[in-house]
Amino acid sequence: MSKKSRSKLWFLVHSWLALPIWFFVLIVCVTGTLAVVSQEIVWLANPQMRASQPADDAPRLGYEEIITAIKTAEPLALVQRISRPDESHFALDVTLSYPDGRSLVTYVNPYTGVIQGTAPQFDFQAFTRALHGWWLVPFTNGYSWGWYLVSALSFPLLASLITGLVVYKRFWKGFFSPTLRFRHGARIFWGDFHRLSGIWSIWFIAVISITSTWFLIEAVLSDNHISISSEAIIPAMARDSVPLTADGLPPARINLDRAIEIAQQKIPGLEASDINMPFNAYSHLDIRGRGWYPLMFQSATLNPYSGDMASSRVLSDRSSLEFVTESMRPLHTGDFGGLWIKLIWFFFGLILSMMVLSGLLIWTKRTALATANALKRENKKQRANAQPLINREPSEVNL
Amino acid sequence: MSKITTAVQPSRLSVFWHKWRFHINVLLLLIPLGFMPKYFSDAALFRGDAGLGEREIGEIQVGPWSLRLAELRNEAPRSDGPAGYLKAFSAALCTACVEPVKATYLRIGKPRSLRAAGVIFFGTPYRMGTQLPVPVKTPADAELWITMEGWDGSMHQASIPLSQASPATIAWLNKQGAKP
Repeated sequence: MSKKSRSKLWFLVHSWLALPIWFFVLIVCVTGTLAVVSQEIVWLANPQMRASQPADDAPRLGYEEIITAIKTAEPLALVQRISRPDESHFALDVTLSYPDGRSLVTYVNPYTGVIQGTAPQFDFQAFTRALHGWWLVPFTNGYSWGWYLVSALSFPLLASLITGLVVYKRFWKGFFSPTLRFRHGARIFWGDFHRLSGIWSIWFIAVISITSTWFLIEAVLSDNHISISSEAIIPAMARDSVPLTADGLPPARINLDRAIEIAQQKIPGLEASDINMPFNAYSHLDIRGRGWYPLMFQSATLNPYSGDMASSRVLSDRSSLEFVTESMRPLHTGDFGGLWIKLIWFFFGLILSMMVLSGLLIWTKRTALATANALKRENKKQRANAQPLINREPSEVNL
Repeated sequence: MSKITTAVQPSRLSVFWHKWRFHINVLLLLIPLGFMPKYFSDAALFRGDAGLGEREIGEIQVGPWSLRLAELRNEAPRSDGPAGYLKAFSAALCTACVEPVKATYLRIGKPRSLRAAGVIFFGTPYRMGTQLPVPVKTPADAELWITMEGWDGSMHQASIPLSQASPATIAWLNKQGAKP
């Protein structure tokens, strides 16, 4: 096969990768882009979620003070979880269990401890993630088939990146002489746009497709009950580690701020951003947060009555394989370094969505013709093998 | 005349196919649309907006205490791979038991001691849940035992027929028995 017809073939493969499923790919890209900033969208829509500081120098309350303030406002509600979002303009997310059996996330002001409101019944964040992540197909027996459907898109995405770079000869030149022609008609414009955004998104498409491949592998491993985790399963507390009381009332639990101190002694630099209260009398208190490596969490597990540390999971406990696999999710979602990283992920998510659309527009104007021509050429070649090649232009110039 | 019209029809179809073949995938959107009611009813179930579970079993007296028991889903136990089949139950303790009850357990068949009381409930006394292992060979007349343990060390037990706790599980067990 000649060099030219080989590049034509690559070009056709590139065109056909997303084409028959372009709308599905587009919606997955758009919902993923929205999911990146879903927390911020809710923040914009819902003032109760904002952490307004009463005075410029007002300090943040400790977790124990937060619990006390909640107890005063809602004496019957039980705190299940306190989570401090990464960005300081968000209120604390506190999950409260109410006597009527509902478990609700409430927004608590980190400076005053005031319950500012309850998360709306429609959870936009969870919904966009569910739509993007598993196409809303329920998980009934292991991973949902929607999860497989979406994560399988990692293959055409990765293949699009590779074939795109193969057909775009000397693509690195595009970095130095960016071309975006507006006045030569729609086909030229969308072709330029597709190539320009493509080369600047190489890293992003690589990150998204590789992390999505991991999501697929993760589901396959889990559904086949294969575990690569080095994490020990912490058994429930022994009967004699949980005190009995003479008056028959629950014993006092350790002060949360003291528990965090104990955890920080064992794990220096631990940012306690997530407190999970014990699930029952024999379950531990769980404190987790980031350390120096923003992509992974470290955690401490304590006896909630004595404060004894039952176990801890720090960065150095991870195997090198886990360093890679556990970094996959945050790399995919972009939620590991505050608002700016999210905005970068959002921007490139939009670009990627636009690439699906521009790819489709180019195809409708170009590829149908190219396919017909390629077939015609094959026929011609069989008839006259010695015919000289007149047009030596690389195919992508004609996009 | 009739010959001409029959010759035109298939080509119309193929024109239609050629025009729309790459837009058929829009129909994939019907999948999330179809699952949307299920998604929202599950979200309400997990928030506790839809009560304790899909099927309430009722109030059960356990010594001086009582609890409301429910099947999280009105369906047969779900397979959990090597762990066998698990059936999810939820419960809420009576107002007077919120403080004195330390733990609540569920087991098929009478526990011999507190140490073998079965699976423990997770969650708050207002709404807690557990996954009960249901062996395939469980007899249809089996009893579901509830054990409640107090902070003062006291222990109380009660039982209800499994058929009352989960008719769907009994139906599933009967089907398992039919298998060779």
